[in-house]
Amino acid sequence: MHIPDGYLGPYTYTAFWIIMIPLWYYAGKRLSAELKSRQVPLLAMAAAFSFVIMMFNLPIPGGSTGHAVGGAIIAIVIGPWASVIAISVALVLQALMFGDGGITAIAANCFNMAVAMPFCAYYIYKFASGNSIITSSRRVIAAAVAGYISLAFAAALTGFEFGIQPLLHTGANGLPLYMPYPLSVAMPAMILEHVLAFGFVEAIVTALIFSYIQRTDTSILFGDESRANRNKSNEPATT
Amino acid sequence: MIPDWMKEVNAGSCKCSAASHGKKGFVGKTIDGIFGFLEEAFISESFSKRRGLLQSLDPRAKLVSILAVIFATSLISDLRVLIFIYVLTLLFSRLSKIEVGFFIKRVWLFIPVFAGIIAVPMIFNVFLPGDPLYQLAYLGPGAHLGPFSLPESIFITKQGTIAAVIFTMRVATCVSAVVLLFLTTPQQILFKSLRTVGVPKLYVLTLQMTYRYIFLFMELIREMYVAKKARTIKSGGLIDEQKWVGGRIGYTLIRSLSMSEKVHMAMMSRGFNGEVHIMQEFKMKNRDYLAGIVAISASLVLVLISQNVIRV
Repeated sequence: MHIPDGYLGPYTYTAFWIIMIPLWYYAGKRLSAELKSRQVPLLAMAAAFSFVIMMFNLPIPGGSTGHAVGGAIIAIVIGPWASVIAISVALVLQALMFGDGGITAIAANCFNMAVAMPFCAYYIYKFASGNSIITSSRRVIAAAVAGYISLAFAAALTGFEFGIQPLLHTGANGLPLYMPYPLSVAMPAMILEHVLAFGFVEAIVTALIFSYIQRTDTSILFGDESRANRNKSNEPATT
Repeated sequence: MIPDWMKEVNAGSCKCSAASHGKKGFVGKTIDGIFGFLEEAFISESFSKRRGLLQSLDPRAKLVSILAVIFATSLISDLRVLIFIYVLTLLFSRLSKIEVGFFIKRVWLFIPVFAGIIAVPMIFNVFLPGDPLYQLAYLGPGAHLGPFSLPESIFITKQGTIAAVIFTMRVATCVSAVVLLFLTTPQQILFKSLRTVGVPKLYVLTLQMTYRYIFLFMELIREMYVAKKARTIKSGGLIDEQKWVGGRIGYTLIRSLSMSEKVHMAMMSRGFNGEVHIMQEFKMKNRDYLAGIVAISASLVLVLISQNVIRV
């Protein structure tokens, strides 16, 4: 889902830079107030985790392997605003180190995978789990659904961005300059691929990670009461 | 002092991957992926230490120049101009002591996977109408594939081919420019130079720390998979294996968050109070200014060409 350079025309990628810069700024301000000096190490570790989660291959039926994107589980664990920064940092690293995702398209990629996906996942998870206790199986299902839908949502957004290119950018001779396919081709292609295949991997992995956290340490989950208490007790006495 | 011969790095491709037999399962693939990542990181690091043209430039001048070229290239839709910029990136890779063959391979490895899927259908009249160049099949009137109606005959179009070539060349040129940037700049310095394009100090520090801890986590994952491989006589069922992977990711996540607490404590005990200071050890020389000015003016010319103000 990483959009390379040259897929999106200048209007589209500039629009995403204009959207993302205030979002990054706001996320940074909000986190500085919440996390104080803890901000840098927490975001760095979470970013490193979002980077390496794609290395974990898991077997899928048919003898093949797949991997998760991780936007959903990261949002559930560290909260949507921290995910914005953590996943953005991971995406910038991928673009700079491996050319995975373009430079002009960094803002668009961050919007799809570091804003839309975690926010969608977090609110679906929150809504679907309701008031159930933290170790309930309802929450596992909520996490799986959040993973599935948020990935499809991010894919649909990417498809939409691709699909509007022929409308925005056509050369003097009527030929498309960037992504050539209209919405009627780009949207279904991106959505179907993720709804029929990758979405299931994301759902399974999100659920498995979530149930592991339930069994071992629920205090790391975002918004959990015990975490707030633990953080308070760990607050160093410098400030 | 470290003697010079110890600093020398052999940049030849080293296949770090362990010998494998037959089809690789998810364990083998993960271990290979991690070795591939490390190999990639070591090779880029070794190129950035060579004494070439781009390596000798101030990283800030280089970053701004290459970003300007990438943004300008993304506007260009003239094939000749794109080929010209692409050839220039090859020239710069040569001047920066990066083997051109390696460079071309490195860039084009990224492209076919994704761009190919998009560019190849463009050449047929099914997706993009145009003048026929080569007829592939005659279907007759009223042909359709499932719900989609197909044209009378399928052919490769002239316009489609041109559009596909321009599209692929633009992607290739942009990727080449980024690859040049990171092959000729040590990562830590590259992150520091991001200050010049307005990235706040806090995020520069976060990027630097993330980069370091990625290696630690990669090692952690490699150990988990190697340990599993060593203990596996017969692989378990699909569900059990998936559960294992989910558990390991969960463990890595819990561990990374608890590590962030410990790292935070360690930073606090060394005097960190949330304020970030980054050592500024760069020095712009005249040639760096010159390089920056040349690259930015060239990018401006490209923008003017793309807007048809300058005709080529």
